[in-house]
Amino acid sequence: MELICLGLNHKTAPVEVRERFAVGNTKLGEASQNLLEMVGAPEGVVVSTCNRTEFYLAADSAPAAMKQLEHCLAEKVHGHEEPFYRYEKAEAARHLCKVVSGLDSMLLGETEIFGQVKQAYKAAHAAGTTGPILNKLFQKVFSVGKKVRTQTSIQEGSTSIGNVAVELAEKIFGHLKDSEVMVLGAGAMSRLTAQALVSRGAKSVIVANRTHDRAIELANEMNGRAVRFDDWLEVLKDVDVVISSTGAPYTIINKDEVESVRRVRKFRPLFLIDIAVPRDIDHSVGEIEEVYLYDIDALEQMADEARSRRLKQIIECEKIIEAELAKLMT
Amino acid sequence: MCVDRWFLIASTLLAAVAGVRGLLILRHGNKSHWTVWWMVGVLLGQMGYLAARGEMRGACPLRSIAEISIFLAWSLTVFYLFVGPVYRISLLGVFTAPVVVIFQGLALLPGGLDYIPERVIRTTFWGETHSAMSVLAYGALALAAVAGVMFLVLDRQLKEQHLKGGLFRNLPPVRELLVSLERLLWLGMILLTVGIVAGILMPHETAGAWKHVFVAVGVWGSYVALMVVKRVRGITGRKFALGAVALFVLSLGVFAFV
Repeated sequence: MELICLGLNHKTAPVEVRERFAVGNTKLGEASQNLLEMVGAPEGVVVSTCNRTEFYLAADSAPAAMKQLEHCLAEKVHGHEEPFYRYEKAEAARHLCKVVSGLDSMLLGETEIFGQVKQAYKAAHAAGTTGPILNKLFQKVFSVGKKVRTQTSIQEGSTSIGNVAVELAEKIFGHLKDSEVMVLGAGAMSRLTAQALVSRGAKSVIVANRTHDRAIELANEMNGRAVRFDDWLEVLKDVDVVISSTGAPYTIINKDEVESVRRVRKFRPLFLIDIAVPRDIDHSVGEIEEVYLYDIDALEQMADEARSRRLKQIIECEKIIEAELAKLMT
Repeated sequence: MCVDRWFLIASTLLAAVAGVRGLLILRHGNKSHWTVWWMVGVLLGQMGYLAARGEMRGACPLRSIAEISIFLAWSLTVFYLFVGPVYRISLLGVFTAPVVVIFQGLALLPGGLDYIPERVIRTTFWGETHSAMSVLAYGALALAAVAGVMFLVLDRQLKEQHLKGGLFRNLPPVRELLVSLERLLWLGMILLTVGIVAGILMPHETAGAWKHVFVAVGVWGSYVALMVVKRVRGITGRKFALGAVALFVLSLGVFAFV
């Protein structure tokens, strides 16, 4: 029996092609059964995420199975450039190891893919489309994925501004469930950053924007509440995190204003995220003892550092994968 | 060499291993999962010492600066083992171990512990309660100071945006450190209150004994002031942590009057 993998991902296919191959979580088992029917192979697993769809098969003849699979899928890519990559035997196993370890992901080292592949395997297993070859392969690949993540720093650090902000907020406040967030300005960046905080459990979001309707719109999106822009200082007394991204050509938050609410806040820690250019928060605000002020450059620099740290880890990850594959092949 | 000293040396070495190993692992970006077990070893060594020394004294071994210093290290270790793993305050052990080494190392210096301690003929309930509760209180206050140092390190890293390395990654969040610091200070104050009340009620044969109580009351008052300011007016984390560290260091002066 020989192993093959045929797939397409964010590097080889645009979203309009990827969406034709996408399979919902609840349909993964059924998709694996269809795959076996299409190709006539004894074992198969379909892996599908927003960035990739991959077909893994164990067949008597790899070239024949590959040809048959290509033939069945050809119709779906009609009118587009060839989007597929193909791997056979050890190459297919190596590729799956990289996928599970996050080395082939759009966001290098991301962890979600591990669970997604596991879910796809479980669905196929439950649908009865796996056998000794793929069972052994996937079990090994999951242990390799775990090893890569625990023995290297491939998943450490945040690589986007939103996640860096979340990471810092968690370093200051721990769980965010008791933390209130104020968003100044309803632009795209503040929206993304606030969403990242909300997704990690931030208690509530208060939005202040010069155009009040936009504040209401964003607040509704995040189950928060909107306040008039002139009232932001009143809100500052209660919140823990402020994300500021207005288009103002001058600073909005100055030292005197923050000083004026320190006593009412009982000198609790305050995390200020300034992602506006020009900056919304005067840099002297960061001199206040309990204030942690980060501007867009600082956040971007942290994201860059995390990205380059992850890139440096690729060689280490590949070494682990090679060593484990060697064991699998013997 | 007496058996009490062997136990103490073993315990001190284990604490040193816990601290050094924890720091080395931290330098590689990780945290040691074994620190708590090393500290359990430290505690067992301390218990062995206390049992042997208590037998020699015929009373609780709290009769000299060296003995108090060791008892304080024991109390600190006990509170660490209660607080650290339960509240999952990572790195508390790595920061606590060096303090244990310092207290026990000082006691091991030549002239510290008597080889053959004088047996205690007469003990009083209030006297023993005063000694035990006060030193237990100091253990909690010492651990609060350790949490304070951890806060100051993290605060500095966040303010200066030096966010690389294992230390930053593994330190607990600012808010958790401040909450732990406050809880430990409350615990220390309650125990110290019991200790001081017992100190007032115990028989005082010399004027020095009263001085000791007065200084202890002064220490207690300083901690009360810090907590009242924190509760009523509010205080920045940095000042609160600095207060806890400074008060603990200054309050050790109370033992000069033992």
